[in-house]
Amino acid sequence: MKRLNILLLIGLLILLVLPRFLSSYVMGVFILIFLYAYLGQSWNVLTGYTGMISLGHSLFLGIGAYMTFLLTFTLGVSPWIGMWIGGICAGVVGLVIGYFGFRFGLKGVYFVLLTISFAEIGRLIFLHLKVFGSFQGLFIAPNFSFANFQFRENIPYYYIALGYVVFSLIVVWLMERSKIGRYMIALREDEEAAESLGVDVFKYKMIAIFISAFMTSLAGAFYTNYLYYLHPGTMMSMAFSIEIILRPIIGGMGTVLGPVIGSFLITPLAELSRTYFAKAGYEGLHLVIYGFLLVAVVLFFPRGVISYIKKALAPVLDK
Amino acid sequence: MKEKMNRRTFLKYSAAVGATTAIAGVPTLLRAQAPEIKIASLQPVTGVISDIGISMRRGNQMAVDDINAKGGIKSKGGAKLRLLLGDTEAKEEVARSEAEKVIKEGAVCIVGPFLSGNAMTIATLCEQRQVPFVMDVAAADDITQKGFKFTFRVFPVSTNFANNMLLYMEQIMREKKVSKIRGVVTNTGDLFGRVQGATFLKFLKEKKFPIEVLGHIEYPLGIQDLSAEVSKIKALKPDVLFPVARPGDSRLLVRELYKQRVQLMGIVSPGSPGWYEPDFIRDMKGLSEHIMDNVPWVNPAGKMFKEVNTRFGQKYPGKYLDTNSGYAYLGVLVIADALERAKSTKADDIVAALTKTYFKQDLVIGGAVTFDKKGDNINADSAMVQIIGQAVKVVLPERAAEAKYVFPMPKQLWDRGI
Amino acid sequence: MNVNLLIQLGISGFLLGGVYSLIALGLSLIFGVMRVINFAHGEMMVWGMYVAYTLLLWTGIDPFFSFLVSAAVLFFFGYLLQRTIVNRILDFPEAMQVLPLVGMAMVFENSARIIWGPDYLSPQSRFSLSSVSFGFLTIDTPRLLAFSLAVIITLLVLLFLKKTDMGKSIRAAADNRTGALLVGTDVNKIYAICFGIGAACVGAAGGLLVPIMPLSPYIGAPFTLISFIIVILGGMGSLTGAMVGGLIIGVAESIGPELITNLFHGVGLDLDFPQTMKQVVSFFILIVIMLLRPQGLLGGKKG
Repeated sequence: MKRLNILLLIGLLILLVLPRFLSSYVMGVFILIFLYAYLGQSWNVLTGYTGMISLGHSLFLGIGAYMTFLLTFTLGVSPWIGMWIGGICAGVVGLVIGYFGFRFGLKGVYFVLLTISFAEIGRLIFLHLKVFGSFQGLFIAPNFSFANFQFRENIPYYYIALGYVVFSLIVVWLMERSKIGRYMIALREDEEAAESLGVDVFKYKMIAIFISAFMTSLAGAFYTNYLYYLHPGTMMSMAFSIEIILRPIIGGMGTVLGPVIGSFLITPLAELSRTYFAKAGYEGLHLVIYGFLLVAVVLFFPRGVISYIKKALAPVLDK
Repeated sequence: MKEKMNRRTFLKYSAAVGATTAIAGVPTLLRAQAPEIKIASLQPVTGVISDIGISMRRGNQMAVDDINAKGGIKSKGGAKLRLLLGDTEAKEEVARSEAEKVIKEGAVCIVGPFLSGNAMTIATLCEQRQVPFVMDVAAADDITQKGFKFTFRVFPVSTNFANNMLLYMEQIMREKKVSKIRGVVTNTGDLFGRVQGATFLKFLKEKKFPIEVLGHIEYPLGIQDLSAEVSKIKALKPDVLFPVARPGDSRLLVRELYKQRVQLMGIVSPGSPGWYEPDFIRDMKGLSEHIMDNVPWVNPAGKMFKEVNTRFGQKYPGKYLDTNSGYAYLGVLVIADALERAKSTKADDIVAALTKTYFKQDLVIGGAVTFDKKGDNINADSAMVQIIGQAVKVVLPERAAEAKYVFPMPKQLWDRGI
Repeated sequence: MNVNLLIQLGISGFLLGGVYSLIALGLSLIFGVMRVINFAHGEMMVWGMYVAYTLLLWTGIDPFFSFLVSAAVLFFFGYLLQRTIVNRILDFPEAMQVLPLVGMAMVFENSARIIWGPDYLSPQSRFSLSSVSFGFLTIDTPRLLAFSLAVIITLLVLLFLKKTDMGKSIRAAADNRTGALLVGTDVNKIYAICFGIGAACVGAAGGLLVPIMPLSPYIGAPFTLISFIIVILGGMGSLTGAMVGGLIIGVAESIGPELITNLFHGVGLDLDFPQTMKQVVSFFILIVIMLLRPQGLLGGKKG
């Protein structure tokens, strides 16, 4: 496995040096790749490792974004600090959802619908709160400075986004190696067996959802200060939740690198199909193609792209 | 950063020229060196508002084609405009990415994007990249209140709508000797609907206007069933309905009002889409008759309008130039005008030229386009239009009117033999 | 408390609920038999709407007849979809099943946009404006017709499943796939027909809705969600449950906000429950059902 680490390190170095050669636009695409990789990784902590599928993760993102904004706007707290508080709020909401889901034994499609319900209810409530801009949304005044998490150029955003990804990789890597991680994998594989062996299944699921919600919400600070506009309709929508889960599922759930690979595959795919297939007179064609591509990727890589990459690279790595 | 890009683009460009010359010979060389100025149109052509997005894009494109047909930008040696097309998909994330893309492809100015949220993201990016941005349609006041240097707005702001609405209602009530109107305001629960509805209500309250608001009903954007809402309207027994709607719910609203037999003196929108589109009139037929809408409309008496509208109808059968496509067209004209005066494609020159804009036009109602310090078009105006004889006609202000307004509605919806 | 208003809202919601039931029935069939979460359900319904619309435009045939054509076309699509894609993902882990159908949802949605354009379409059909009055009540004729036809279709489908051989095979395959295979059933064909019927239901529902709602390529998504809520409420695997659930949700969404507002005012709270939050009512019901009675109102075994 040492070879894999070396490959990863080389990859990281390339990414660190890349901005020199990239246009602002391409850097923007990379930023999206990193962000989605990070979100996918955060989602992965819950779903990939415990098997509980969530389709409501955009709720946590929204909480993080709105909390960070609120703290900056009312108390002048820098987003760098505010985002951790937002994270705790999101984590608590995650625990509430987890409590309802896990205590009542909701699994599979039931759990999915539970997460969707909470996310939709959250979205509708936020849509009606004046303090969060209600239906208008929030127009964030740009005030470029590091403390404000706002920058003129894409380069700082690029490195911060990359930082997010590295952070998530470290968290997941540490988790996998820790006792917590091992228990989570155990209960994903066979919950009843794990329980009979004395594993406190409920406790570990709660830990998983807390971490997952917490991490997801940290990205909210980034979005607020990158897009300068917040609206529950986009930030906390089911469409966004679907986008979040696409990449880790295609990349490979329950693996450390899956979400990253998934994002590197899917995000440029979406961008390229828009660039090459968005023809005047056939608006929407690029989305039809994107849809078919999603179907194709799943049919060809039902266990996630990463398992095929591992197989393909096995001769190189296992020396 | 911009320096590097220009150099890189130049190098790429020369390499391309060199390659094509080598392959195809002299004629290619001559063609490749024809001057061209790129501007970009970013509109929501897919997604929930795509019907309006496509209308906007058509307005942008037609203006570019017309300018080129008349010789392009003469002060730059007859350089032709090339319109790069971007699809924001109605999402901020995509809007930003598309804006980055067109800037990289060499756009010297961006026009668009209809949705205020998208506009905010693009405006911020344009401020970061120092690229001028002209909003053809985007109503939220907030955008021009952030101190952006590079952003300009051709469309009127929502306070302008509300002002005019009160002016027109005052005239109607005075002339028809109606001392007080009891009304219900409805709006879609999206940014535009909310802002329009709220501003209208605020103005009514502040100016102590003799319109008593019996109720204010909001419904989600994309709603498919308004029976509950209309039941509530009926229960309130208003004289006039003031609906801020979107193309989908406008039809639902009218049909429900018919079915539930809601007695009204009139349906007067404070300013929204959904009431003037050709498809609305085509689908609703006689039911659309006498609905009024306070919108920044095209100028029916204008020479420029008549000429452009004829060609628009030829190119897109069944469609006519309306608020959205009209302002989209105007937005590009304003940009071209600025390019003419700037005599350069450098951002600062274009911005300086835009600031000094005084563009006389009779395409849309209102005076010459001219921007204030915040970048808003202070001469932008709205007109009261009414559907008469199944066509949209300007009824107020009188100086631009094509027909006299009709109020109250002579026949209720269900008495029209439909 | 305006009782008349509540009754009016209730009836209006009940009638719409009939159509919801039909949509949910389609989903219940698909999910009950194949365990697949059909994320493209709402978008398929929209295609059904467009088929009926096109027929109305070309031939003048009222959607209250042409919904049959919608059903047929969607049956064909559903059958095809199952045979080509869904069949391959039946044994995939749940998360992997989500994606291909999400992809197909995008395909349906955007191809509709390419073909029919983005504009909202709301053609006038024979009954779209008529209503019947009973005192203070106004009953919407299209809604009444849609409700009646939806009920008839649902009963026909139920009959089909109970009495015909094919129907029995479908139910057998649903209960025990391995068993069905062992007995030599062509499970693939059964599944395809089942998906086809589910799609036909949703296509028919779409046709019935044309006189009631304006069409646009993007209106499908909320229907997918609602049909899931209904299926869970009614009980997975229970087709009558889908019917009952549809009616309950139809009424709940209609009178919920008004009732809750009255409740708030009644206890002295100066708060309105806005119509824009009406979906909260349905989601709330869903959560309560899942926590307290996960098998749904009429569901037998735990799903």
